[in-house]
Amino acid sequence: MLQMIEANWLIFVAALVIGIVVAFWIFAHGSKKPGERTHRPDVLDEGAAPAQRNQALIDSASPASQYDLPVPGVDEADTREKQPAHIDPPAAAGTMAGIGEVIAVAAQEEADEARSHKADEEAAKAQEPTPEAEAPKAEDAPAAAPAPEESAPAPEEPAPAPATEAQSDDLRKIKGLGPKMQKLLVSLGVTTYAQIAAWSEADLDELDGKLGAFAGRPRRDKWVEQARFLAEGNTASYEAEFGKL
Amino acid sequence: MPLWLELAVSVLLTYGLGLGIGWLIWKRKG
Repeated sequence: MLQMIEANWLIFVAALVIGIVVAFWIFAHGSKKPGERTHRPDVLDEGAAPAQRNQALIDSASPASQYDLPVPGVDEADTREKQPAHIDPPAAAGTMAGIGEVIAVAAQEEADEARSHKADEEAAKAQEPTPEAEAPKAEDAPAAAPAPEESAPAPEEPAPAPATEAQSDDLRKIKGLGPKMQKLLVSLGVTTYAQIAAWSEADLDELDGKLGAFAGRPRRDKWVEQARFLAEGNTASYEAEFGKL
Repeated sequence: MPLWLELAVSVLLTYGLGLGIGWLIWKRKG
């Protein structure tokens, strides 16, 4: 035995040294006390802009409410004509910590912008030939006697619109209620906060059946409570509970 | 017992001894 150690003493010394080093290494890492924290990160370290942006996102309506999603069976046909570039949120938008919705909103905004540019250009083009188009009409008017009859109902048409607007409320002030939902509600005859405030549980259940992908939102976003405050004009209480209008 | 096994066991024991010595030194160091 001793002979063997004598013959291989280098190996034994190496093993001993490695053992000591490993022991030091293990204990130095194992019992490291957490150092005192001198750096205390703050939300405002990056400046106020990100915090303000986040607050704005919190205060604004939920991203999903910004979509103009077609409500099945209600206005599928006409929305397709009006909105050719329509982007649906991904199916898993609700399960992706909101990132899916954020991306979809950004894509929708881009599409809307592109569309509005196109619409502006078309409007500019359309405006040019209008004087020419109106000229013959003016000539026709004195020639044809029944013309006043035709033009008479025309001014009447826009007249009822302001009247209904005066009666109806801007339902989109309700957080979680987007343009699509507003269309649906209007089609159901719901145009005022008071009507929403008067909804019962049964009404909510019935509405849920018509909301498709948005089912449950009226309850989740407390539309009835929101509408109650809005109907009363109680902005202070509304903002206290639901954030800025 | 073959020689290589004897050597291996002895080296391992020495390694363990080193580990123990290291731990003792560490403890004394506080």
